[in-house]
Amino acid sequence: MIRFTAILTCLAAMPAVAAPAPVEFNRDIRPILSDKCFFCHGPDATERKADLRLDTAAGATALLDGHAAIVPGQPEKSALIARITSTDEDEIMPPPESHKTLKPAEIDLLTRWVKEGGTYSAPWAYVAPRKHPEPAVKDTAWPANWVDRFVLSRLESEGLAPSPQTDRVTLIRRLSFDLTGLPPSSRAVEDFLAVPEDQFETAWAVLVDELLKSPRHGERLAAYWLDLVRYADTVGYHGDQNHNISPYRDRIVEALNANMPFDQFTREQLAGDLLPASTLDQKVASGYNRLLQTSHEGGVQAKEYLAIYAADRVRNVSNVWMGSTLGCAQCHDHKYDPYTARDFYSMAAFFADVDEVDHLISANGGPGAKKLKLNELPTERPPEIAVPDRLDRARFAELEATLVRQTAAGQAVNDTQTEIDAIKKRSRLSMIAVALAEPRITRVLPRGNWLDDSGEVVQPAVPGFLGKLDTGERRATRLDLANWFTDAKGGAGGLTARVFANRYWYLLFGEGLSRSLDDFGGQGEPPSHPELLDNLAVSYVESGWDTRALLQLLVTSRAYRQSSMVSLALRERDPENRLLARQARHRLPAEMMRDTALAVSGLLVLDAGGPSARPYQPDGYYKQLNFPKRKYAADSDASQWRRGLYVHWQRQYLHPMMKAMDAPSREECTAQRPRSNTPSAALVLLNDPTFVESARVLAARVVAEGGSSVAERIDFACREILSRPADGEERQLLEKLFTAARAEYHSDPAAAQALLGVGLKAAPANIDAAELASWTAVTRALLNLSETFTRN
Amino acid sequence: MHSPDARIPLLRRRAFLGQSGLSVGAAALSSLLGRDLAAAATPNPTAGLPNFPHFKPRAKRVIFLCMAGGPSHLETFDYKPKLDELDGKPMPESYTKGQPLAQLQGQALKVQGHLTKFQRHGKSGQLISDFLPWHGKMADDIAIIRSLVTEQINHDPAHTFMNTGTAISGRPSMGAWVNYGLGSLSENLPGFVVLTSTGGRDPQPIASRQWASGFLPSRYQGVEFNASGDPVHYVRNPAGISARQQSALVDAVKSLDRKRNALLENPEIDTRIAAYEMAFRMQTSVPELMDISNEPQSVLDLYGAKPGDGSFASNCLLARRLAERGVRFIHLYHRGWDHHGDLVKYMNVCCSHTDRPTWALLTDLKQRGMLDDTLIVWGGEFGRTPMFQGKGGPGRDHHIKGFSMWMAGGGVKGGASHGATDDLGYHAVQDIVHVRDLHATMLHQLGIDDMRFTVRHQGLDMRLTGVEKTRVVKEVLA
Repeated sequence: MIRFTAILTCLAAMPAVAAPAPVEFNRDIRPILSDKCFFCHGPDATERKADLRLDTAAGATALLDGHAAIVPGQPEKSALIARITSTDEDEIMPPPESHKTLKPAEIDLLTRWVKEGGTYSAPWAYVAPRKHPEPAVKDTAWPANWVDRFVLSRLESEGLAPSPQTDRVTLIRRLSFDLTGLPPSSRAVEDFLAVPEDQFETAWAVLVDELLKSPRHGERLAAYWLDLVRYADTVGYHGDQNHNISPYRDRIVEALNANMPFDQFTREQLAGDLLPASTLDQKVASGYNRLLQTSHEGGVQAKEYLAIYAADRVRNVSNVWMGSTLGCAQCHDHKYDPYTARDFYSMAAFFADVDEVDHLISANGGPGAKKLKLNELPTERPPEIAVPDRLDRARFAELEATLVRQTAAGQAVNDTQTEIDAIKKRSRLSMIAVALAEPRITRVLPRGNWLDDSGEVVQPAVPGFLGKLDTGERRATRLDLANWFTDAKGGAGGLTARVFANRYWYLLFGEGLSRSLDDFGGQGEPPSHPELLDNLAVSYVESGWDTRALLQLLVTSRAYRQSSMVSLALRERDPENRLLARQARHRLPAEMMRDTALAVSGLLVLDAGGPSARPYQPDGYYKQLNFPKRKYAADSDASQWRRGLYVHWQRQYLHPMMKAMDAPSREECTAQRPRSNTPSAALVLLNDPTFVESARVLAARVVAEGGSSVAERIDFACREILSRPADGEERQLLEKLFTAARAEYHSDPAAAQALLGVGLKAAPANIDAAELASWTAVTRALLNLSETFTRN
Repeated sequence: MHSPDARIPLLRRRAFLGQSGLSVGAAALSSLLGRDLAAAATPNPTAGLPNFPHFKPRAKRVIFLCMAGGPSHLETFDYKPKLDELDGKPMPESYTKGQPLAQLQGQALKVQGHLTKFQRHGKSGQLISDFLPWHGKMADDIAIIRSLVTEQINHDPAHTFMNTGTAISGRPSMGAWVNYGLGSLSENLPGFVVLTSTGGRDPQPIASRQWASGFLPSRYQGVEFNASGDPVHYVRNPAGISARQQSALVDAVKSLDRKRNALLENPEIDTRIAAYEMAFRMQTSVPELMDISNEPQSVLDLYGAKPGDGSFASNCLLARRLAERGVRFIHLYHRGWDHHGDLVKYMNVCCSHTDRPTWALLTDLKQRGMLDDTLIVWGGEFGRTPMFQGKGGPGRDHHIKGFSMWMAGGGVKGGASHGATDDLGYHAVQDIVHVRDLHATMLHQLGIDDMRFTVRHQGLDMRLTGVEKTRVVKEVLA
């Protein structure tokens, strides 16, 4: 009760809101106009009503029938104000049939805005980021770097203080999950707890550096990248056959582990095939252009699907790099942003050289059809390239040199040739981009209708209001587009940098500075800390697109190290944590949940790359798939225990564990996964063999390594799973569970044996089965706790 | 407009009141949570949106009988004498010029007459084909719409269009929308259940995106119940774990989570505990539900169902059991209706699987007084061409410009006929009903105004019915 009294007192002591600050167009007004007015009075000329447009100052102040919607400084003379405050049903705006209404507070804001001059600003996301001076703060001791100054200055202006640094266990777990996707080992936790207070800062810096350089770091970032670019192991439509693409995923991990500058990364993704003397790795990276869903359902119209594919690519490329919903301009000019339908098709034209027609022609037979293996696994989707694994690649080069030498010397080459053939045979194929000499003609499709050939032919071009590519007479290519995305001076580099700085913030703080991770347009949410986001974007560009440096900057800030505990007062004041007076708390993503269970049990296999892994899966889960019918065979070797990143991604039937934990089907760009809490998820943690096997294998460690008393063993299990020992009450609860299970298994040894038979891993012969099964009751309980799977 | 995650689950509110021991006035609490307290008073943890339904509903639930593959309207409900007259003659180009075709692309087109006879049935005199004798018996209970149009000509996008209102992947299915808006009526079962049946031939693949929650929270997604193996994934205890032990485990997890939460005050943990409780209840309720062997033999005979056979008949019976237990949206798929060739042979197969069980479901619901508040919808993702296609014996290709569906129960006017295609059954020409109108009508029967049912996603107010104007098909409503 004392705690709550304190909170109430503190609530009462909080300063009242000061006199209203001047209205800011982008923060206060644009969201209202965009949501309530632009549908009829916005950029889309074909839908515009009464010739009035409110998305530009010129439009809003133009005289229509002798009245202007906005008369700067004079709300009483402004038709807009008159109409939104009208009580006449025929007059009032927005009209009742739109089901949009303005709240009194919104009307007040609009009125104040007009009174203050009604000035417009360009949409925030399309104004190039610039460097802002670091703000002054009162508490000069708090900031660890400039990020903190922006956070603290805002908090101080709101009369709030940051939360204290969280405890060390939470800190190391937070950092490990955020940077590597894995929990810290109990040993790492022990070492970190032993660091003396005065050496803490150094220890933190060292830990950050270690984790950023861990090979697990690239895997963690790759999981996010693959969501953005919709990587999957299957084609997605109709028969959802497997296609050859896993080397692309492995290449992403390597590039991220090498901290490849993001501008180079972008070039290789969009145009690896167009780079001069492009390497095998670069060609594999160009597989980005092939990640979309495809189909060869009998009866597909090549023309229709080419239109579907083009639109898919525009949606993805604009979502990923520009944080924009250019995809909305497929049928009409964008309703809220200055994108035109022509911009949409001009963007599509960049990809009109990607060779992919073979499988569309082959689906229906007829002239020009190649014999492709379409209804087989994997399906054939030319062009593809053979990708030997790393070790083989070096050996392959050696062998080729040997072959040349042996041939020249007239020696026998049989053995060399056999080995070369063997390597070729075990290489994986990967879909890549290959540019057609003659790109397909791209037309504007009126209202998105692919049957309509009346539209204008367009050339590759970037959205008109964002600039122009300077390629002279030469047709612009995917490489030009990639360069434009990362050119902060003449191109959209500032926008790209802001989009990604915001997403990295999201990965480390639970929400973006702007929570619209994939919509920086007029309908997106302006950032809570615009200057901070600007400076992060600028510094990202200035560092040479050094992603690791950006992450390092963020995780060494004090803002990052804050506690995620929230008082009632703070929850009331800032329920959504837009002011950053605390850290975030959320359930781990699907892959991290799998990896955590496997890691704490000791089962986790850290082999990087290779063909996708197939964990245990319910029988008959693919029964609805056809062409061909599908049989799922779970891995029967160590691949069974690989990281979630490598799990076979079946678009139509994603592994039920992954799906229950909100992993997306990867049909479209996913910048932010939902975080749900469902009975299906509970059933996975309770009963999925992967989790049961992890629990029983960990139980064997508990018995072998956890000391001899029940209390010691419970503490051992807690340290492994939660990074902390149990407290008295927890120990009691778990001991009760253990004792009851032991009684049961002693009287029913067959049940113990059955439990130990779940999963591939053999149970150790030197531990009594009933004992092991009883400890499994304890580890299962711990592997079902919220704490185990929550990043705090 | 609702943001999909805007609602604080009831249990969170309860947690604030119950756990804090803090005596905050109701008004203060309301403002604290920024939500109305009216919803908090609902005894259901999976309550719907505030102010839903918009008006008095005629139906509480929907059973959607999806005949996947696209049944021929010309061999079910749409009789065209002229089609028989022109049988075997070239298809007049005036019908087909500039129209999209699927597998008939580039081929000579000729008219295929009806491959069966039609009779009038019931007092209403509905025309129904001889393939569907049991449908004939319920002619006065169903309202047939003969003027449906859709926009997608291949199976996968056409299903996606029928279920989500758009061909773009990643949008919520109608069952998810309905549960999101109205909430679930069951504490033991998910609000949106999908059943697929065995039988048919060369079945079209069905993607789980057809019952996805899209941008809505995943608790609204359809859960597939299986006739064989585990009825729901992971619903069975692991080997060697007794019911008693599982129960003790769930209790321990709840206690440990609660204890930890006294320190953290994480409202999400209450949702989690509720999810564990429901998961545990499902471990009993789902197997009980799926076991139809305890139904009287007379009921099994009515449907022609055999326990555990995974047939459409068994699924129809399960649909009734799900409806009784409060499941809001029940989606049955029967595949095998894609009759490019040998249409007669395969229509006989499909109808033998589905005709009688459909009648049985309607009859059973009626006998139990449940038809009045259960809306049944029957149809495929599109219809079939008036033109001949011959893969084997005569068949028909995919067709999107005019096809038939029917609705029954839940405030629908039995015996009604609505709309018509032209004299060859090609284009819907009279009272055209677009898929979005069908959706609007379904929502209307559930008490929802589709225009006011929006969710903000990527800056847009998304609707199941899309951006175009919709029209509720009032003519088929009682």
